Amino acid sequence: MAGMFAGPQEMMGYSFNTAPTSASEPRQHSFYPYTDNGGSTLGISGADFTIMAGDTRSTSGYSINSRHVPKLFLIGGEGPKNKGARIVLSVVGFAADGDALKEKLDKEVKMYKYQHGKPMTVSACAQRLSHILYNKRFFPYYVHAILGGIDEEGKGALYSYDPVGSYEREQCRAAGAASSLIMPFLDNQVNFKNHHIPGSGEGHDLKPVVATPLPKETVIELVRDAFTSAVERHIEVGDGLQMMILTKDGVEEQLLPLKKD
Amino acid sequence: MTSIGTGYDLSNSVFSPDGRNFQVEYAVKAVENGGTAVGIRCKDGVVIALEKLVTSKLMKPNANKRIATVDRHIGVVSSGLVPDGRHFVVRARAEAAEWRKIYKAPIPVHSLADRVGQYVQAHTLYSSVRPFGITAIVGGWDSETEVPVDGQVGSGPSTGAGGKKEGGKHGGPFLYMIEPSGLFWGYYGAATGKGRQTAKSELEKLDLAAGTLTLEQGVKEAARIIYVAHEDSKDKEFELEMTWISSLSGPTKGRHEEVPKEIREEAERLAKKSLDDDDDDEEEEKKDDKMEE
Amino acid sequence: MNHFPQAWGRPRDDIYGHYNSSYLQTANPTQHTQSPVVTGTSVVAIKYKDGVVIAADNLASYGSLARFTDVKRLRKFNSSTVLGFGGDVSDMQYLDRLLNDLDVKENYSHADDEASQLSANNLHTYLSKVMYKRRTDFNPLWNHILVAGISSESEPFLASVDLLGTTFSSPSLATGYGAHLAQPIMRKLVPDEEAVKGISKEQAVDVVKECMKVLFYRDARSMDGYSIAVISKEGIEIKENEKLENQSWQFAERIRGYGTQVN
Repeated sequence: MAGMFAGPQEMMGYSFNTAPTSASEPRQHSFYPYTDNGGSTLGISGADFTIMAGDTRSTSGYSINSRHVPKLFLIGGEGPKNKGARIVLSVVGFAADGDALKEKLDKEVKMYKYQHGKPMTVSACAQRLSHILYNKRFFPYYVHAILGGIDEEGKGALYSYDPVGSYEREQCRAAGAASSLIMPFLDNQVNFKNHHIPGSGEGHDLKPVVATPLPKETVIELVRDAFTSAVERHIEVGDGLQMMILTKDGVEEQLLPLKKD
Repeated sequence: MTSIGTGYDLSNSVFSPDGRNFQVEYAVKAVENGGTAVGIRCKDGVVIALEKLVTSKLMKPNANKRIATVDRHIGVVSSGLVPDGRHFVVRARAEAAEWRKIYKAPIPVHSLADRVGQYVQAHTLYSSVRPFGITAIVGGWDSETEVPVDGQVGSGPSTGAGGKKEGGKHGGPFLYMIEPSGLFWGYYGAATGKGRQTAKSELEKLDLAAGTLTLEQGVKEAARIIYVAHEDSKDKEFELEMTWISSLSGPTKGRHEEVPKEIREEAERLAKKSLDDDDDDEEEEKKDDKMEE
Repeated sequence: MNHFPQAWGRPRDDIYGHYNSSYLQTANPTQHTQSPVVTGTSVVAIKYKDGVVIAADNLASYGSLARFTDVKRLRKFNSSTVLGFGGDVSDMQYLDRLLNDLDVKENYSHADDEASQLSANNLHTYLSKVMYKRRTDFNPLWNHILVAGISSESEPFLASVDLLGTTFSSPSLATGYGAHLAQPIMRKLVPDEEAVKGISKEQAVDVVKECMKVLFYRDARSMDGYSIAVISKEGIEIKENEKLENQSWQFAERIRGYGTQVN
């Protein structure tokens, strides 16, 4: 029987004989769920403090969406204003994902406190953030996150992440549009890369300067210099500089102007 | 009820030999207790009033509202088992939302009464449920003008095909009362609860069918009737809860809202005054009698 | 004569050619919006000391065809917020109905308490979550929306959300072409939040009208009939059938290289 309805070699063919054609082929999707909202962030940890910073410009292509969209968020404080928070998250990349990530982490840190009756440590929060990012690895949060706080020993803690949750604790990290401009500057000024003790030898015998934790005031100056320089060379960075200084006493926020061009 | 203990009152969906469903009749009994509720259909709106008995002095005055809004233009009040009334409202709201999903317009009051009526009636059919222990008053206003469908973006053709026939009468005030059996009728004035008999006889005096009573007068009458109906249970304290729905040109613009405090208090003042006057009259009559002696 | 019932009434391939049955298939992957269909163009809005002014023209385009000319793209939500929709009109209608349902439900829980009504910032947060969820499901609502109104703190509020769920707020905002043509004009008036405090309602209305005119001159998908709304603590004034005034096409004479003027 089946032979009667076979292919075009038969004398007569009918529509119901043939398998569907084009409709079941893979479909081309023209909707792209990501965008880049520009901007840059950085974090530097010291002996007893951590400084987080980010510019406040939001862009779409060559357009400036707004001159004031913060990239730094307090995590796990009290109430809608996050009073008394001791952890700061910075996110740069796709802002909508950044907001979603911030809200999820904030919710979980708050839930931890409600359920365990004590605030989450930075190291625990850091690992939780890694898991949140990794859980969405097949449709990632398109963000470069940096998490800052004070650890259980009272030292400055700073963690940086890739979009799918790989993370490490570092002394300093720059992320976002101008990261390639800021990071080498930080390597040189915070970790003293390419600093040598004069006259300690010739060529490879030159002794490197050993990095020591910098005082807070110096770091604040470094952050401001890093951003004023980045603003000159990168069009997506500018408008305002949001800085959060974390110490054992809590978080102090500063807002400084940057060039608006 | 004489048939108690005959076995025919144990389950819904079982008729007694003389063709009664006792469960429904018991439900009607439940309604006969609890505060009086009245609804008045005036010429330019509907008033709903409730005698809310204060069951505890520990409850916050003017809180725990009992008259509910369904969609934006319908008010529902019930007497009987309060939780049953709450469920009734939940269902009414779901029906109104469902109607909007399909027709992109507010549900007409009659359609809502019909749908919740069907729902209440369904609770007389199955042994797994019991009938609603409430009688509900549903009042609302159907828009007298053309309303844009939800999400409408343009005005449509101003002339030619697609225009609306002029001169047709649309919308207006509507009032329905739904009983535990699922039965519902449209009314000019409706009353339920403990003082319903008194309230009904007062409502009959108003000649509502003439369609001359205004909403403002209706508010005063509703307040007065609640106060009159309360006379029989004078020992209990109560709060007057009152809502209204006016025409689009009236004070609520076709929405179901609480009667503003000032207007309600004025209506209460007048209600108390008229009661006092009646008392005075009676006393005067007694005095007259004595004089004659 | 063919004896197979399946073949009765069917076109024969040897006469009509191979029948394309692809449209009959129902086992396709579910299809979502990949591009908008009937669209609205720019929405512009600016804050002033007591509120916000927002405007959008009344045109809905079908590609390059000016399809509907009385489409109201400013939508009122309760007494404190107006939404301006750019992008797909059917998605706008969906959102309008969604928010209408929300408003009905809000009324159930606190009908006569002005303070607990949803404010403009509440609505913006809600919308941003709806939009972000839909983009995450690869089923976007193809709109760029401006939310103009009064915030919970009784301050003027203006913010935007787009089909990706991206949100931002600024003293002045514009979607689509407006972001390029109208924003620079408005930013001159309100460069920052501080400047907003010195702007009167009249100034804000004037600059918005100026922006609508510039957009009509340069945006091919725009129209001279528009809607404008002013939202303040006193309430919402909305005018839906405005016409652009004082147009001057003198600049057009200096444009070379189009139409009959070759050089």
